[in-house]
Amino acid sequence: MEYPKEQIEDLKRYCKKLSAVTEGGVTYLCLEGLRLPSGCQPAECDALLCPEPKDGYSSRLYFSSQIQGPYTRNWNVSNARIGERNWFAFSWRVELANPTLTQLLVAHLNGFAKEK
Amino acid sequence: MSIETISEAEIDIREMAESGREVPDAQVYRVPIDGQVVRVDTAHPTGEILLSKVDKRPCAFELIAEFVHCDNDVIEPEEIVDLRQRGLKGFITAHKEIVTIFINGDDHPYKIERGVHMVAQILARVGQTPDGYVLLEEKGGPPMPIPPNQPIEICGCETFFSQPQSGGSSS
Repeated sequence: MEYPKEQIEDLKRYCKKLSAVTEGGVTYLCLEGLRLPSGCQPAECDALLCPEPKDGYSSRLYFSSQIQGPYTRNWNVSNARIGERNWFAFSWRVELANPTLTQLLVAHLNGFAKEK
Repeated sequence: MSIETISEAEIDIREMAESGREVPDAQVYRVPIDGQVVRVDTAHPTGEILLSKVDKRPCAFELIAEFVHCDNDVIEPEEIVDLRQRGLKGFITAHKEIVTIFINGDDHPYKIERGVHMVAQILARVGQTPDGYVLLEEKGGPPMPIPPNQPIEICGCETFFSQPQSGGSSS
């Protein structure tokens, strides 16, 4: 899947390096050194943004490790193997009509800033 | 035969003011701001330009002109200052009590009291609530969501964005 260039450029502000990984017909955006909201430990990590429906979610954000945030989250994906790496994700539903990639990423990151 | 105006290379306005001399035309004026001497290459800078010489912005700071024999004068950001005016010895800055923040773009400034505010108070400036919107702050990096219960220290010039709330735990 192709995304508008301006959306890709905007997304690059959040990480050190952005690339794409396609596996099983799904395109993931790999965000190396993604900055996380304040209160998260570690403060940054690698992440995979899946802007397409996956595992019953309209989109997902995978992390290279489980992140300690201000609120307890249900980490229902552990060591998922994508692009020859292991990934972790917590259960977080995002319902946005036609979001940009950055809006989608922020909506997932808000999972660390929102109680429920 | 042509008449040329000879201008000084650099002039220290404090020296001129304290000695009671008129400030001559110069290529560069040495101007004290908060005790730090900065170089200004025009006799008529704006208040905002002078503030920027000490890395400050009008959204948080006020510029005040100091004179040898008369009261201080507050300079507005867009006001043009005459560095050659008699008695002007420099400037000081003061942190404003009512500062400006930006929500959803630099072209959307909002006045707010300096100090600690809650997310709901910031969102209220744009008619939004934490139930419906996430507040993001751009602070040394890209805009990041702020927890609704986290107090925010407002010093002036902060940049915020809002985005519709959309996420929720499915467990």
